[in-house]
Amino acid sequence: MILQMEHIKKSFGDLQVLRDVSLHVDAGEVVSVIGPSGSGKSTLLRCATMLERVDSGSIRYMGETAVSTDEYGNTSYVDAAALKGIKRYYGLVFQQFNLFPHHSVLKNIMDAPLHVQKREKEEVKAAAMELLRKMGLESKANAYPCQLSGGQQQRVAIARALAMKPEILFFDEPTSALDPELTGEVLKVIKQLAEENMTMVVVTHEMPFARAVSDRVIFMDGGVIVEEGHPEAVFGNPTQERTKQFLQNYQR
Amino acid sequence: MTLWTMVIKMSEGFGKTCAIFFLTLIFALPLGMVVALLRKSKNKIISNSVRFIISVLRGTPLMLQLLAVTYGPYYLFDISVSRNKLIPVVIAFSINYAAYFAEIYRGGIESISVGQYEAAEVLGYTRAQTFMRIILPQVIKRILPSVTNEIVTLVKDTSMAFTVSYQEMFTIGKQIANSQTSFLPFVVAGVFYFVFNAAVDFVMGKTEKMLDYYQ
Amino acid sequence: MKKIICLALAMMMLLALCACGEKKEEAPAAPEAVTFTMGIDAEYPPFSYIDDNGEYAGFDVEVCRAACEKLGWNFEVFAVNWDEKLVQLDADECDCVWSGMTILDSMKEAGYVLSAPYYDSTQVMLVKSDSGFASSADLAGKDVAVQLGTSGEALLADDGDLADLAATFNNVITCDSFLKCFTELDGGAVDAVFVDMPVATAYAAENEGFTVLNENLGAEQYGIAFRSGDSEMCAAIEGAVAELVKDGTYAKIAENYPDIINNLLFIN
Repeated sequence: MILQMEHIKKSFGDLQVLRDVSLHVDAGEVVSVIGPSGSGKSTLLRCATMLERVDSGSIRYMGETAVSTDEYGNTSYVDAAALKGIKRYYGLVFQQFNLFPHHSVLKNIMDAPLHVQKREKEEVKAAAMELLRKMGLESKANAYPCQLSGGQQQRVAIARALAMKPEILFFDEPTSALDPELTGEVLKVIKQLAEENMTMVVVTHEMPFARAVSDRVIFMDGGVIVEEGHPEAVFGNPTQERTKQFLQNYQR
Repeated sequence: MTLWTMVIKMSEGFGKTCAIFFLTLIFALPLGMVVALLRKSKNKIISNSVRFIISVLRGTPLMLQLLAVTYGPYYLFDISVSRNKLIPVVIAFSINYAAYFAEIYRGGIESISVGQYEAAEVLGYTRAQTFMRIILPQVIKRILPSVTNEIVTLVKDTSMAFTVSYQEMFTIGKQIANSQTSFLPFVVAGVFYFVFNAAVDFVMGKTEKMLDYYQ
Repeated sequence: MKKIICLALAMMMLLALCACGEKKEEAPAAPEAVTFTMGIDAEYPPFSYIDDNGEYAGFDVEVCRAACEKLGWNFEVFAVNWDEKLVQLDADECDCVWSGMTILDSMKEAGYVLSAPYYDSTQVMLVKSDSGFASSADLAGKDVAVQLGTSGEALLADDGDLADLAATFNNVITCDSFLKCFTELDGGAVDAVFVDMPVATAYAAENEGFTVLNENLGAEQYGIAFRSGDSEMCAAIEGAVAELVKDGTYAKIAENYPDIINNLLFIN
C-alpha cells in the first residue's frame, strides 16, 4: 500500500471542507477523483501533499506515518526531517503548472534532483533528457517556460515531478487551465504513464478520460466520498442519486 | 578661478561622492533584504517594530537622519564624532536606503505567486533553497526598474552629505560658487551628476536586458 | 554693557593665560604638537572662501594660519555647514568657529567662549543702481533677501533689533547662500539684499549695476567662538593675534583685503 489516508477532517474557518475522508492507493493503481467544485477533491490532494495541514486523521506513505491522531484526538505531524523523507515518495502536478519561469525546461527538471536529492549531474541529465523524449519535448530542452504552449508547459511539469522518482504522482486538474485542443496531449501522457503502471491520483473533470484510464473512480461531494468503485460501475451504473445527478449534468 | 581648476577641485570631491554611492549600495541592498524579511516575519512584535522603523526612515528627511547619525551619539552618549565623515554618512545613507529597498523587495516578494512556493515545497526544497533558488531570482527581475529609480535618486542624494560637512563634490561646488560668486560650479556639478547617472542607466539597462530571457 | 563683557572677557583671558602658563611649567616638554582646527564657512569671502587655486583663503584664514605659526601649532581648516556650526564645534570637529562670525548674545548665554571682537560689522542693503532706492525707508512694501543663519537674518527676525523695519517690508526671503540672494536680486525676484557690508562692497565692486546703500543698519561685531571649556585656547589665540598686530603682520595681511580694512578694530 503506497498511500493510506484515514478519517481526514479539514475546515477553513467555519467551512468544513473534508468530513471524514479515507483514501487508500495501492501500487500501480490509477485513481480518478471527480465531483463538483467545492466538493473537497482538491483539498484532499493538498492535504495528501502536505500543502494543507489536516485538522485530524492520519496519513501514511509506504507505511511511514506523516500525520497521526491519537485516541484523545490530538493530531500531530512528524518532525521536519521525517517529513522530508516522506516527501520523496510523492509528486504533484498543478493545475497552473507552476514551472519556474527563470529556469530553462531542462533546469526546471534537473534542479530539484540535483539540489534536493543531491544526485549526480550526469545521471540526472540523462534521466531528464529521457523524460523529455517521452514527453516529446527533446527539442525544447533549452527553451524557457514562457516560450511554450500550455500543453507543453504541463508536460514539462509532469517531467519535473517524475524526475524526482516518486512512488505516487498526484494531478490537480491537470488540464483545467488548458485550451480544449491542448488537453489531449497532456491526457495522452498520463495515459502512457498509466500503461507503465505509475501509481497516480488524478483530480479531473475529464469524464471520458477518467472512465478510460482509471482503475478506480471516486466521486466526492460535500466533503465526503459519495461513491467509489470501478469506472464502469460508477459511470455506467451509479448507485447514489447525487452521483447520477452529477454525471447527468456532465453528459449534457 | 579657471574652469579647469574648478573641475579638478570638484573631481577630488567626486571621489567622495562615489565612495558614498558605492558603499551605500553595498550595504543597503543586502540590508534592505534583511529588513524586508523581518518585516514579513510571523512574529508580530518583530514585523510591527520593523514596520515602524521603516515608516520613520521614510517619513523623515534624509538630512535629519544624517544629523542624527553623525551628532546623535555625541549628544546622547558623549561618543566623539567621527573625524572620518564617510562613516556616519554611509551609515545614515545605508539605513535610509535600506528602508526604501526593503519596501521594494517586499512588493517584489509578494508579487511572486503562491504556486511557486507550493511547487518548491512539494519538490522538497528547504525554505532557504526556495528563497535563494526560486523566489529571489524572480524578485530581482521584477524589482529592477524600481531599484534603478532609487539608485538614480541616490546619486543625486549624495549631495545631502554637505549637511555634516562631508566634502563631497556638491559641497565643494557650493563653496566655490559662493567664494567666486559664480554659478559655473553648479553647471559643472550638473554635468557630473548627469554623466554619473547616464552610466548608472547604462549598467542597469544592460542588467535588465540580461534578465529579459524570460517573462 | 558691551564694555563690561569686554572687561569680563579680558579678565578671563588673563586668568586663562595664567592657567596656561602654569600648566606649561608642569609639563615642559609637550611631546606632540597641538593641531588647531579652524572652523570656517568656506562660502564667505573675503573672510573665508576658496581662492582661484581651489585652496582655502581669506582674511580670517590667513590670520589664523599666522597665529598658529606663532604658537607652533599645526594648522588645519574644517569647512563647517554654517547652519550647524555650533553643533559641529560642540562635537569637536573643529576647535573654533572663526569666519566673519557675528558675536550674538545667544552664544554667550549658551556658554561659548568668545574672543574679543576684531571687526565692526556693518549691515547694509545692496540694491540695483537703477532702482532709485536711497535708504531702507524706501524699501517699504518691497521684498528683501537675507542669508539663512546670518546676523542679518537674526536682525530682521520677529524678535530681532530690526523687527520694526522688517515689518515694513512686503516679504523677507531667506536664501541658503549669498550667491542665491544676489542672483534673486539680479534676476528681479527681490528688491534688496540685506547683507554684511564687506560682502556687499565686494560684490558691488565686481559686478556692475549694484549700489550699497550708505546706511549702517546693524552695529555688530565679529569674533571667534570656542567651546565652553576652551578659554585657554581662546587666550592663546588672542595673544598670538596681539603679537601679529604688534609686529605688523596683521596689517600686512589686512592690506590684501581693502574691502574690510577700515572696519578692523585692531589697526584702526
